[in-house]
Amino acid sequence: MFDLLPHILNGLTLGLLFALIALGFMLIVGLMEQINLAHGSLFALGAYFAMQLMGPRPPFPPDLAHAWLAMPLGWRYVATLILAPAAVGVVGIAIEFCMRRTYGKDPLYGLLLTFGAAMVIEETIRLTWGTRDYVLQVPQGVSGGFLFGDLIWSTYRFYAAGIAVAIIGLVWLLIEKTSFGATVKAGAHDSEIVRALGINLTRLRLLVFVFGTMLAAIAGIIVAPIWGIRPHMGVDAVIPAFLVIVLGGVGSFWGAVVAGLLVGLAVGLTGAYASEWSLLSMYVLLVAVVTVRARGLWGKKSVLEA
Amino acid sequence: MIPTQKSDSERLITPTMLVLFLVLATVPLWIARVGLYPYLGIEILIWSLYALAFNLVLGTAGLPSFGHGAYFGIGAYAFGLCQFNIVANLWICLAAAFVIAGLAGALVALFISHRRGIYYAFMTIAFGQIFWTLAIKSHKVTGGEDGLLKIARLPADLGFASFDLAGNVAFYYFVLIVFALAVIALWRLVHSPYGRVIAAIKQSETRAAHLGYNVWLYKASIFTLSAAVSGFAGGLFAMAQLAAFPDVMSLHQSGYVVMMTLVGGGLVSFWGPVVGVFLFLIARDVIGALTNAWMLYFGLLFMAVVLFRPEGVAGAITAAWQNRSLHSMRQQGGSALRLLFGGERWR
Repeated sequence: MFDLLPHILNGLTLGLLFALIALGFMLIVGLMEQINLAHGSLFALGAYFAMQLMGPRPPFPPDLAHAWLAMPLGWRYVATLILAPAAVGVVGIAIEFCMRRTYGKDPLYGLLLTFGAAMVIEETIRLTWGTRDYVLQVPQGVSGGFLFGDLIWSTYRFYAAGIAVAIIGLVWLLIEKTSFGATVKAGAHDSEIVRALGINLTRLRLLVFVFGTMLAAIAGIIVAPIWGIRPHMGVDAVIPAFLVIVLGGVGSFWGAVVAGLLVGLAVGLTGAYASEWSLLSMYVLLVAVVTVRARGLWGKKSVLEA
Repeated sequence: MIPTQKSDSERLITPTMLVLFLVLATVPLWIARVGLYPYLGIEILIWSLYALAFNLVLGTAGLPSFGHGAYFGIGAYAFGLCQFNIVANLWICLAAAFVIAGLAGALVALFISHRRGIYYAFMTIAFGQIFWTLAIKSHKVTGGEDGLLKIARLPADLGFASFDLAGNVAFYYFVLIVFALAVIALWRLVHSPYGRVIAAIKQSETRAAHLGYNVWLYKASIFTLSAAVSGFAGGLFAMAQLAAFPDVMSLHQSGYVVMMTLVGGGLVSFWGPVVGVFLFLIARDVIGALTNAWMLYFGLLFMAVVLFRPEGVAGAITAAWQNRSLHSMRQQGGSALRLLFGGERWR
């Protein structure tokens, strides 16, 4: 049993990361009933932007770059956590402006449009940064490892899991406990009435979408030091994100969080015994659940199913 | 007006088919002169067959399948493994590709045919990823990421005569004959009573069920059939490439066949997938020769098609041909798209 404990902990931290990756995706699916397949590419873009900002050649004018590089690593990291998602948010605005044309039509339009957008972003990443791997620097406080029991644990994993918990909590508060969240959910439910009440739904949807893309970018920055930065990381992120949402059920916040943890545990535990097959376990898990349950774990009725 | 005139949907071979086959038969004569190469012709025919098979599910039945590359790849591996381990006979190996991919499709259909919309779509992705991972990790059987190499283009033995298919031109004509037969068979299938029921299920599962049709069985059977024909195309592809690689099974490549089908206009036209494959592969070669960022431009083109031309290229051509308004075609494309994810209840 005690042999199992590290793997379970490992799986749980991984699960929190999966939940974090799925968060932006879930927000857009849950509140707008749109599938954003560009989620993974935006996740990757966040990581690349952060890498550029933290690296030796920040994308600033010379004077500013000099001042930026003179700042301590920790400050730069915190600033990057804000700047990079903001930059990705701008890309999100561009996508939303295209996606606008598909609202009120079938969600498949949005899915296909964002699939095209994902291709464009991934190819742009390849053109800009090449196909090589990059490493994202993190402050010393969160890197390295510590000894607990007889094992060395990576500090960064726990830091990342902590950030994931904090962000999941904040997003839950935002959509469940604020009037903003209530209005947006009402807009997804009945857009006509919400408009008739004098609410600018167009702007609200833009905000939700941009918020979702920024969450993708944050997830990218948090996960990058663990997974590494390479063009394919977008695809590696969007599939688990999509899987977590389908497993948890469309429209269920805690469904997605629990699904993320389950996927993490499944991947972590199979990784311990048969690492070759660890990625397979999440698909098997999904097939097992969705074969029996029509809407994943706690999914609600939505336009995403006939 | 001649009352006995048949409509195209009742014919075995339509005028369009004849023209297409005749034009395709002349391809090896001029393809090298326009700066392309005979192998591209083979690739286009095989992918067209694959896309037509895929469109049985997407366009005809309105089921979103995003992991179809798996069956194409399984067919390719089945062809190679049959050749190495069972018997090196062209017909038996092609039949093996068809049957094994069909069995894989039937297995998946058991799990997904009672699901709809996003859950159906993601189940197909999950199974696609499962098969892809199996192909990569089973080094002993499939050769892992290196693929199954040294697959031969077996001679076509007809009993009275045997044709050597090793050359690209000979193989092109072989693929063309197979393609033509398959197109005729698919045309008849889509316009058969069975095909009509499938189309009815696409319109409304509930309505078809109330009319007494076993919706589950129809959904499962069309998926199985589509997988089998995809696998058959995969067997041909293994011969064309002289190898079978796992990358055709990846999610990316499965996405390409969806893109080809939609850009071409598979939702409104039988020929849409073929048009899409032509455009996609020729764009890959022509734009790819000019810039190595051709996926960037194709991605932008795809976004534009989704936004402005949901009926696809074939839809626009059909509209011009039949003098129908582009608007009605676009609505048809739009409503077909809508049905895929069951937007019936969407205001």
